[in-house]
Amino acid sequence: MSENRFVQPVFYGRLRRLLPLFRRDPLVAADQVTDRALITVVAILTFLAAITAGAAQFAVGTAMHWRVMMASELTVQLKPQGARSIDADIVRVSDILRGTPGITTVKTLSRDESAKLLEPWIGSASSLESLPIPRLITVRIDTDQPPDLVALRKAISDAVPAASLDDHRTWTKKLGRLSDIFLTSAAIALVLVIVATGLTIVFATRGAMAGNREIIEVLHFIGADDRYIAAQFQSHFAVLGVRGGLIGGGAALLLILALKIGSAASLTVDFSGSVSPGLLDWATVLVTFAVIVLVGLVAGVASRITVYRTIGRLS
Amino acid sequence: MQAFPYRSAGELVRFENVGLRYGVGAETLTDVSFSIEPQSFQFLTGASGTGKTTLLRLIMQALKPTRGTVVLFGQDTSLLEKDGLTALRRRMGIVFQDFRLLDHLTTYENVALPLKVQGRDEVTYRAEVTELLSWVGLGDLIHAKPPVLSGGEKQRASIARALVAQPELLLADEPTGNVDPSLARRLLRLFVEMNRSGTAILIATHDLGLMDQIEGARRLVLADRRLYAEASDV
Ligand SMILES: Nc1ncnc2c1ncn2[C@@H]1O[C@H](COP(=O)(O)OP(=O)(O)O)[C@@H](O)[C@H]1O
Ligand SMILES: [Mg+2]
Repeated sequence: MSENRFVQPVFYGRLRRLLPLFRRDPLVAADQVTDRALITVVAILTFLAAITAGAAQFAVGTAMHWRVMMASELTVQLKPQGARSIDADIVRVSDILRGTPGITTVKTLSRDESAKLLEPWIGSASSLESLPIPRLITVRIDTDQPPDLVALRKAISDAVPAASLDDHRTWTKKLGRLSDIFLTSAAIALVLVIVATGLTIVFATRGAMAGNREIIEVLHFIGADDRYIAAQFQSHFAVLGVRGGLIGGGAALLLILALKIGSAASLTVDFSGSVSPGLLDWATVLVTFAVIVLVGLVAGVASRITVYRTIGRLS
Repeated sequence: MQAFPYRSAGELVRFENVGLRYGVGAETLTDVSFSIEPQSFQFLTGASGTGKTTLLRLIMQALKPTRGTVVLFGQDTSLLEKDGLTALRRRMGIVFQDFRLLDHLTTYENVALPLKVQGRDEVTYRAEVTELLSWVGLGDLIHAKPPVLSGGEKQRASIARALVAQPELLLADEPTGNVDPSLARRLLRLFVEMNRSGTAILIATHDLGLMDQIEGARRLVLADRRLYAEASDV
């Protein structure tokens, strides 16, 4: 590079100054082996962080999707009770439901359909002939203007004491807690990876500065100030950090995209039987990008702080 | 020892009863007092191990005195902040005994470094540096890196680096220590020319023959931990 110092057109020099990321300032005697090791470590860390963040985003997205589905449905269960005609009770409850504002659809499951749901636990439908089977009514509600559940529950149990209304609250709560757990674990993992990246950059910077101690001393004697010397090291390690981040984050992105394409081929079916939209959506891609940017920032800040601290001690 | 006048303005360097001790032993330098005037020419001499390099290191702020006061360009260095230190160092050029060129930079880059670190644009000094390099006889070696240079070539590159920013004070530690007598004479002429153009020169050497080549140059003599200075200004 320095061989053509004199033939470099002036604009090229300007361009290099404009783009500090691509400027390779030769004042720091770079150690190729250390540099490559550093890039590799940062790449691995970024890959893990991006995958973690992507997975968490995916899990939370899925949980939220299910939550919305569940929250828009109610179930009424009628237990058979002695002499009462269960079919008459079903009609009574259905009428109450249909008359309640905020309810869009009411669907009664026939005895056979209800029995089928129990099959996995009790056995085939034919052996249930003589058994009293609880019956189900599924209800879709308008989530924008939901019905008054307290009043509805009271109206139903007044009319048919053996009927119980299930608004899936336990399940939506559990899903909420689950996605909280996903988010927390992902956040912890992310913080750990960021700390590890920062420490890696700190140690690499310190090592390089110890190795370049002579150079730093000479630079001081010929009139360089700390800011100038710091800039040499800082830009070097910030660039290494960003490179590692891009490689690791890029690999994670590729993996996520591959999974996205793969999952689009084998469509996911959720609990209500409907096909859910692309679960690995672009938000996952965005999250991965955010991780790369974060790693770059951490690399820059970590090397900057280390450089200033070390220069203070060296002179 | 010389009695020096107090606070005459314009002195580049002034030592007042400076003592320096490395670690816990006896003092390496004791009660050193002298001053360097602008545009003066002096040799610092004394047997090997008497503390010539130590004295230069005190001037270039690589060492702090154990006792006494070092005043540089009119400023008490014990009160100096970092930025002030950088400003002072930009007013002096240093030729280290072991050159201290940066091995991964070319001769051109090494010599241009004092200007570069001041934030100057290369366009403004390229011609200047190239001219200086031909002047010290390194015109054909601007792209060579120090490891392939001979001792004398490194010596000249380090002298060129010390001179490039046209300092007010030049400190040279045994600048002819690694070269044959004829090159030594040429290098000495270089210092004389610099001195004529306004730079004060302090050359540390144990080579008496070298000093004899410059008639009337002031001599600072180190012996027995003390400095015996001839008057330059009286
Ligand atoms: N960093 C140091 N630590 C301890 N002693 C030192 C150090 N540098 C020099 N000395 C001692 O100080 C004395 C003067 O050394 P120096 O200034 O290099 O002399 P000169 O340059 O005149 O040969 C010597 O005895 C040397 O051993
Ligand atoms: Mg010496």
